[in-house]
Amino acid sequence: MQQNKRPQCQGSKQGYTHPETHSVKSSSHTLQALTSAALMLPGLLISPAHAAGTDRINFQYSRYQEGERNLYGVPQSYKPISADVLHGSGIFSLTDRAKFTFGYTQDTWSGATPVSTTPLATSGGNRPYTVNGVVVGASPILNSQILLDHDLNPIGRDPITKQSTGVVDTRSVLVMSSASPETRRQANFGLSYEWNEAALNVGGGFSRERDYHSSFGSIGGRLDFNQKLTSVKFGGGYTDSQVSAILDPDSSPYITKTAYAQQIVNRRGSEILKGDRQDWVANTGLTQILSKNALIDASIGYTHSSGFLENPYKATSVIFIDPAKLNDNLIIGDVRALIEQRPNIRNQVALSTKYVHYISPFNAAMHLGYRLSVDDWGVNTHTFDASWVQPLGGGWTLTPRVRYYSQDSASFYRPYLFSQQNYRNQEVDSFGRQVWIDRKNPTVQYYGSDLSNLVDQNGSAVDGFSVDAQPKLTLFDAGKLPAHFSSDHRLAGFGSLSGGVVLSKILGKGVALEAGFEYYTRASSMQIGGGNNSFADFDYYVANAAIKFDIEPDASMPITTSSGSFTAHTHSSLHHHKIPPATVMFGHMLDKPGDFMAGYRFMYQWTGGNMMHGAHKVSDQAIVDQGCGNKDCQFTPQFMDMRMHMVDLMYAPTKWLNVMLMPTFMDMDMNLRQLAGARVDASGAHSHHGAAGHESGAVGDTYFSSLIKLLDIPGHRVHVNLGFSAPTGKTDIKIRRSFNADGGLIHFGMQLGSGTWDFTPSLTYLGEYNRWSWGTQISGIKRMEDRNQSGYRLGDMFQATSWGGLDLARWLTASVRGVYTWQDAIHRDFNQYNARIGPMDFPRNYGGQFWDMGFGVNAQIPGGRFAGNRLGIEWVQPIRSDFNGYQLNRQGMLSATWSYQF
Amino acid sequence: MFTPASMKLTRNAAIAFAFTLLFGMTGCVSVAPWERGNLAKPQMDIDPHPLQTEMQSHNYSSREAAPSHKSSAGGGGCGCY
Repeated sequence: MQQNKRPQCQGSKQGYTHPETHSVKSSSHTLQALTSAALMLPGLLISPAHAAGTDRINFQYSRYQEGERNLYGVPQSYKPISADVLHGSGIFSLTDRAKFTFGYTQDTWSGATPVSTTPLATSGGNRPYTVNGVVVGASPILNSQILLDHDLNPIGRDPITKQSTGVVDTRSVLVMSSASPETRRQANFGLSYEWNEAALNVGGGFSRERDYHSSFGSIGGRLDFNQKLTSVKFGGGYTDSQVSAILDPDSSPYITKTAYAQQIVNRRGSEILKGDRQDWVANTGLTQILSKNALIDASIGYTHSSGFLENPYKATSVIFIDPAKLNDNLIIGDVRALIEQRPNIRNQVALSTKYVHYISPFNAAMHLGYRLSVDDWGVNTHTFDASWVQPLGGGWTLTPRVRYYSQDSASFYRPYLFSQQNYRNQEVDSFGRQVWIDRKNPTVQYYGSDLSNLVDQNGSAVDGFSVDAQPKLTLFDAGKLPAHFSSDHRLAGFGSLSGGVVLSKILGKGVALEAGFEYYTRASSMQIGGGNNSFADFDYYVANAAIKFDIEPDASMPITTSSGSFTAHTHSSLHHHKIPPATVMFGHMLDKPGDFMAGYRFMYQWTGGNMMHGAHKVSDQAIVDQGCGNKDCQFTPQFMDMRMHMVDLMYAPTKWLNVMLMPTFMDMDMNLRQLAGARVDASGAHSHHGAAGHESGAVGDTYFSSLIKLLDIPGHRVHVNLGFSAPTGKTDIKIRRSFNADGGLIHFGMQLGSGTWDFTPSLTYLGEYNRWSWGTQISGIKRMEDRNQSGYRLGDMFQATSWGGLDLARWLTASVRGVYTWQDAIHRDFNQYNARIGPMDFPRNYGGQFWDMGFGVNAQIPGGRFAGNRLGIEWVQPIRSDFNGYQLNRQGMLSATWSYQF
Repeated sequence: MFTPASMKLTRNAAIAFAFTLLFGMTGCVSVAPWERGNLAKPQMDIDPHPLQTEMQSHNYSSREAAPSHKSSAGGGGCGCY
């Protein structure tokens, strides 16, 4: 560490010259040196890039909820978009200077999304539908007609009755469609290395959705100058994305996709639009300390994107007008939806600045930011934001924040387009004759003005009626349309204002809580200079909560020697009792009053393979005939995967009592297949699955419980758990409404919670002797309500399990476990519409008796930086199943746990 | 209209601006390490709430056309809704 003399107005080079030559002569110098030494400690001296100081694990849940769009009085059949986001991330020191970071984000969204924009005056758009004579919702109608006056102004229609009002109405409206829940998962990893005055980091990761895969990598660094008063940052990144958009089978027949004919493939009955895109990013920036109370951060970034930059789910309305009718007083326009076409190159430059100032009287910090971006699509943006970080004492910090954003519209953004040509024309041959084709034999062509006056290729007369000739049609001339067009409202001009607060609290023991709320409102009129597309205005709010754990390596611990001998370690964690295999919940207690444990549990359960009835495989025909009560089954599950994330928080107020809180997050995906021998449902309802399948994911039920110690003698312990589960998981998730049929509630097994308050008691015995450990647990779930809000209740459950473990090393235990489970069928039934298309929609096809074996290992890291962390993993293998009714076979379950005691 | 030429000009101007900042400011600032107590406070972090920032920027980038707020890290997915 260099010694710090009081700097004059000096160049950065001078600051570094011969620091060693200044010997420490006086005590004041000694004091200065010590102070500066202390300040150089990690986390204390400001390092502008702010590599996080301590090892840390974060969990965050957030919910995004949009408000309704303006449909001019038409009732909305779809809920506005919402997204549930689960995020976990961590940073771990590998050495004093090297750190490893990881992050995982999972978001599930569903709800109404604009598919195109049309004039409000069309006969389609959001077309109301009625149930029992009452207008209850609207279906998206993409192709329709519009009446235009001589100057191509739309003549209005009533949005509900679609009757002409006779007066010009130039308003536009978003055409809303909806989606069943879809999930995105993203994982990223990074490595960073710090030198005294420099840092380097590399990172990468991937993001997966059913229709969008991307992989990315980045490299960046930081150089500090001038006694760390100045830091220069630089970075670069590359993202490669593959789009395979599953075109909505309901709307696809009504969307014109000719521009993408080469990119569309058919897979399992679904049309998939394929495309690739690449994004390159480079940026450089500077952080400068301005005074002892202020610093500034400025950076410039360049993004180059190429390839398929469209949003494949957005269409633009084109109003085709017969050129022969242009002089009429009343013109009928033919409204068609075309998939949008964006340029396949985009260059963006962004300039960001941030000023941070310490406000002494309040011990607060004021953050002011401004960002400018320009691009070659014409989208220039300005962002202003300000926040005030106010520590309140007692570990509390309150941060109010406000942000204003404005963007210009892309040069090719249009709510809709006009094209002075017919959407379709009858082909005309080189002699000016209209061309017809033989419907029975499309390669044969006839020529002539009408059916009674046709000739064939040889010039012989043909009776057009008897050969069933029909006009040979060609689509519009794409060359007469603009090269690029989009009506995605994200490319429109608008302004937005948002504000929110973040409240955080440090609990001590390395645990911090954080909660945030933000409200965002977008309005065309808030654009700098004003805008004129207020039909796309909307608002949203986001609420989130996070818990953060600082994992301080225990300074009192001897660092593992290279010999790795266990005898060197006397850390108290080694005196902890053995913990049960990873899948066993409520299986151990904390020993000392005041102890706190945080953990994370992940379970992945696979079902798939054969359909079963009782203990035996069953044929498709048997399912068709018997799986769906007195109806025929049409579909059956092909596979279903369930993943559960659970945060374990455990606290010991006294030696004999522990309390636990366990929020959960669930997500599932399921694919169906049509049963062989199924009769096709004439209504066409729900026969639309194709490659899309189903996904759902969000907060599951929340468990809380108290564990009471009954017996604790050397080698033997018994405790009882009196737990409850609160119905925080949804049980009213719906499949999207398809074109002409309500999707209804999704299958029981895809709902995210029980929907009822449940009692979840268990009794656990644990024993250990030398290298051996063993245990047994009986547990149950008793539903305490008759039915949930959707009308049914899940079956009660009883489970008994026993296991034995052997220490392979002092830190590693292997275990074998046997499990018996009984679960009752579902009671009652949905009280709302459910499509009843397969065995998974019938309550009696749930539950059964199950026998499993578990094979697991538990590790307790004995020393080094990660000392005290416990990890467990267990595979649970089904041995025998006796299903109630008709169910998909079980394939197994993987459980993984991490926990850390503070 | 935004042409490649004017884009280049903007880029050059921005780079010049950044360098002016760099050399303009580094020379004349003097804050000794023992005077950096305030700067070291958590509220003075350039990003005091990284979890919040990450989430906000994901929401903004799926609703606005500005380049992603994240500097060089990729990801974010389609945001096609």
